[in-house]
Amino acid sequence: MRYRWLYVVILILASSWAVRAQSDVPIISGGAGFLNSNDGGSNSFQPVITPVVVIPLGDHWLIESRTDLRGFIGRQDGTSGPYQGQFFGTLEYLQVDYNVNSALTVTAGRFLTPFGIFNERLTPIWINRFQDGPYIGTIGTAGGYSDGVMARGGWDSGNGYSINYTAYASTLSTVNKLESERSAGGRFGIFFPKSRLEVGTSYQKSLQAARGNSEGMDVSWDPYRAPLDVKGEWAHSASGYGYWIEAAYRLSQYHGSTSAIGRLEPVIRMEQFHRSMSIAGDSLPGSSERRPDFGVNYYLAHEVRLHASYGRQFNNQLNSNIWEFGVTYRFLFPAWPGGK
Amino acid sequence: MSACFFAAAAKEQSRVLANNAQPERGAKKADASSDDGEKRFEANCGRCHNAPENLSPREARAVVRHMRVRARLTAEDEKLILQYLAP
Repeated sequence: MRYRWLYVVILILASSWAVRAQSDVPIISGGAGFLNSNDGGSNSFQPVITPVVVIPLGDHWLIESRTDLRGFIGRQDGTSGPYQGQFFGTLEYLQVDYNVNSALTVTAGRFLTPFGIFNERLTPIWINRFQDGPYIGTIGTAGGYSDGVMARGGWDSGNGYSINYTAYASTLSTVNKLESERSAGGRFGIFFPKSRLEVGTSYQKSLQAARGNSEGMDVSWDPYRAPLDVKGEWAHSASGYGYWIEAAYRLSQYHGSTSAIGRLEPVIRMEQFHRSMSIAGDSLPGSSERRPDFGVNYYLAHEVRLHASYGRQFNNQLNSNIWEFGVTYRFLFPAWPGGK
Repeated sequence: MSACFFAAAAKEQSRVLANNAQPERGAKKADASSDDGEKRFEANCGRCHNAPENLSPREARAVVRHMRVRARLTAEDEKLILQYLAP
C-alpha cells in the first residue's frame, strides 16, 4: 500500500516530464561552410562546421553550446610546396542560463566575452558578411571566450527606447580547450526602435598580468526605408586602437528578396588598427594596418549563401591583395524527431 | 407572450452573431500580434540575420529561448516573436 503511493507519484512526475520534454525539444543548429582565401599569394581552404546545441529545461533554465570544428588546408611553405592540413576544434561556449525575470538572465559557464558587437553577434560563419573578423575584434574580449558568471538582459522603456546590458566576471583557466583570462567588464546599449539605431559602450578590466583596461563603442543602424545595414565599432586597449565600419545593401527592392537580383547583397568594410605598444599574445596585427574590403553575398534558397570578396591590406612592411570565396549553409533541426 | 418570444429570439440571434463574430476579432488580434512579432523580430533579430525557414512550433520555442539570452530579449519580445515564427 505504501509503495502504491510511491508508484503514483513517480507516474505523475514521469508523465509531466514527458509532456514537458515534448514541448521543449532540444535543437541542433549552426553553420557549415567551405571557405577559400588567397592572402598575398598564400592559398588556403577551410571546411568548417559550427554546431550549436540548445537544451531548454522547463520555463527558466537553458543549456546552450557552440563548437567550432575546422580544418585548415594550405601549402607547406605558404606560397609553394604540397598542400597539407591541420584540424582545430574550439569550444566557444557551454553555458547554463537562468531567466530570473523579464529583464535579467544569469549565466554560468563558458561564454562569448561581451565586448562590442562583433564577438557576440557576428562571429557565426553564416552571419558574418566577410570571412575574416575585423582587426580589433580581439580587443577587450580576452581571446573571445570567458569562463565565469554573467548577468544580462533588456528593458523596454515604452517611450521610444530600450536598453540592454551585460556584466560579467571571468576566472583564469589554463585547462585545455577551456582557456580564459581573469577579467571583468560588460556592455551597455541603448536602442531606438523607430530609427532602428543602437549605440553601445563596452569596458573590460584585465585582472592579470599588465591589468590593462579596454574601452569600446559600437553602432548598428538598419533604417526601415531601405534594406541597408550599417555596423561599426571603435576599440582601444594598451596594445593599440582602431575601428571597423561595414555597410551591406540587399537588393531586395528589385522584385523582392527572392528574385535573381534581390538575392544579391553588395557589402563594404573599412578598418584600421594603430599599434601603440607591442604586447605578446594579444592576437592583434604586429604593426599598424588598414584594410578596405569589397564583397558580394548571394542568398540562395534553403539557407545557402555564396560569398566573394576582395580586400587590400596596407601596412608599413608589405601591402597585399586578399581574395576570398566561400559557401555557407545554416542548419536547424530538432535533436530528436517528433510531432509539431 | 409574443413580445417575450421575440425578445428571446432577438437575444439568441445577437448571441449567435456575437459568437460568429468572435473568430474574426480573434483573427484580427492574432494578426496584430503577428505584426508586432514581425516588428520585434526585425528590430531585434533581423538586424543580424534572416528568420529561419520552416520552423515547427516546438523548434521555434527552443530558438526563441536561445535568442532571448543571446539578443537580450524581454519576456514580451519573446512571446511576440514566438507568435510570429510559429503562429
